Amino acid sequence: MAQDRFTGVGLGLRRPHLEQVAQMDNHGVPFWETCPENVIGDGGRDHRWACAILDRDPVLTHGLAISVGGFDPWDEAYLRDLDRFLVRTGTPWHSEHLCFTRVDGNCLHELLPLPFTRDAARHTIARARELQARLPVPLLLENITYYAELGASEMDEGDFITEVLEGADVGWLLDVNNVYVNALNFGFDPKAWLSRMPLERVDQLHIAGHKRFGAITVDTHGADVIEPVIDLMQWTLARLGRPVPVLLERDNHIPDLDLLLAERARLQTAYDAAMAPVEVRHA
Amino acid sequence: MLETRTHRLQRALASLVLDGDEASLEADPGGPARRQELSQTDQRAFRDQGQAMMTYRELTRLSLSEPLETMFPVLKALLEGADAWDGCLQAFLEARVVGSSQYRDIAPAFLGWLASSGWGQVRWPFLLELAHAELLEVLVARFPDSDPPQDLHDEPTPDDLIFLDPATQVVSYTHAVHRVREEAPVPEARPTHLLAFRNAEGDVRLKELTPVTAALLVRARNQSLAEAATTLNLPDLAPILTLLKDLCREGAIAGFQTST
Ligand SMILES: [Fe+2]
Repeated sequence: MAQDRFTGVGLGLRRPHLEQVAQMDNHGVPFWETCPENVIGDGGRDHRWACAILDRDPVLTHGLAISVGGFDPWDEAYLRDLDRFLVRTGTPWHSEHLCFTRVDGNCLHELLPLPFTRDAARHTIARARELQARLPVPLLLENITYYAELGASEMDEGDFITEVLEGADVGWLLDVNNVYVNALNFGFDPKAWLSRMPLERVDQLHIAGHKRFGAITVDTHGADVIEPVIDLMQWTLARLGRPVPVLLERDNHIPDLDLLLAERARLQTAYDAAMAPVEVRHA
Repeated sequence: MLETRTHRLQRALASLVLDGDEASLEADPGGPARRQELSQTDQRAFRDQGQAMMTYRELTRLSLSEPLETMFPVLKALLEGADAWDGCLQAFLEARVVGSSQYRDIAPAFLGWLASSGWGQVRWPFLLELAHAELLEVLVARFPDSDPPQDLHDEPTPDDLIFLDPATQVVSYTHAVHRVREEAPVPEARPTHLLAFRNAEGDVRLKELTPVTAALLVRARNQSLAEAATTLNLPDLAPILTLLKDLCREGAIAGFQTST
């Protein structure tokens, strides 16, 4: 079962670290997360290092390229490449974001919020089901941070996410940092919010750093994870009562690998502490 | 038929992010929703969250301009010196030519837009060449790998065709755009021929070529070296064969193929 191979805290595989990671045999990272569109169609030295790691270590895949809630037609050529890539990596699932990134043939390269409406939920459910039918592994959708609601809402974010996950019957990549950031920006209690969500759908967690810009906090993935977010991760793991894998995301201000490995180890300790009572219960 | 409300909301956000005239968007963040014929309540949602909506404008523009700033530092320095960089970015964003969802395709999309729009090239006739030269090394470094044909040898003879490594590029510019720096971004007007290739370690190498060598590298892909030399009025092939053998050893040329 996938859960046996994918547990603990993994790391996002980043270009500046590829060579070093490929040449390390004892990095201690239980699994990596990779972005397929960064690997598919690429070439050269870094690409060779990336492939060497992906062929050697356990990998989860996490995409940015597919505008799940958008209206642009599927990029069939990309989906064929993605299919091959997912099979090659042996990933147990593939995640994308619950958002839109493309409008009328243009990619905005930003995770943009879907309207919290019945029409948008219906549309996104249909799209997620179509996408799932084209993938060789289960699809997970990730909750994003948002800074404004797109148009007049008919429900809140939590209800929208629940409706889509259940309507599409897909798994949830729960980003606890995104919940925390949304809670800051919109003034709600993240634990109360999580308590009413369909946690049984969670197959993976994301954790990351964020930054405040004036009145708004942004999930920059560019700083260390702060204690309240670690606490939220531990609270969520205890609540789940299952050792779902946690992935530490770092996309900006990427530190040296040894610092990132140390940050991962710090989170692994927190992970183990959260899982200890669960394991005792199951023993 | 009018598109669904969800689709029009997405279009309105795309307009708010990409359109020019930031001042009028600041003053009236509901404008994009109104132009999409969205309801009064949707328009009000845009207006009431004006500042947060503009955060999307800032974040998206950052995402789209960051790879350009990384890939085209000299072009950026040149245009910033003339107070024209922001205008260039705005014209690029409004053209809406970023079709690929792959982040690494943003910079090539910018190059393609410069070529098709001719933006700035009355004032800076070398602009397109400059952008091309800045992107060249990255394109060569990351060109998709493929296996060369089996029947290549590494000692050239006059009867052979040249088989370049797939990542290798032979380029000709009218300006010495490979010599510019951020501090001196205007290139000298001088015909320039370059060979860009990956060595065995995957590092990109640039070599300046004579016009004749550049022409030979292009011709001898479809014509034997002896025939190409005759066409180009090259009396002595011996030094060329030595050079080609070196280029093969260095990785620019995958090998040589007997022409049939
Ligand atoms: Fe995430």
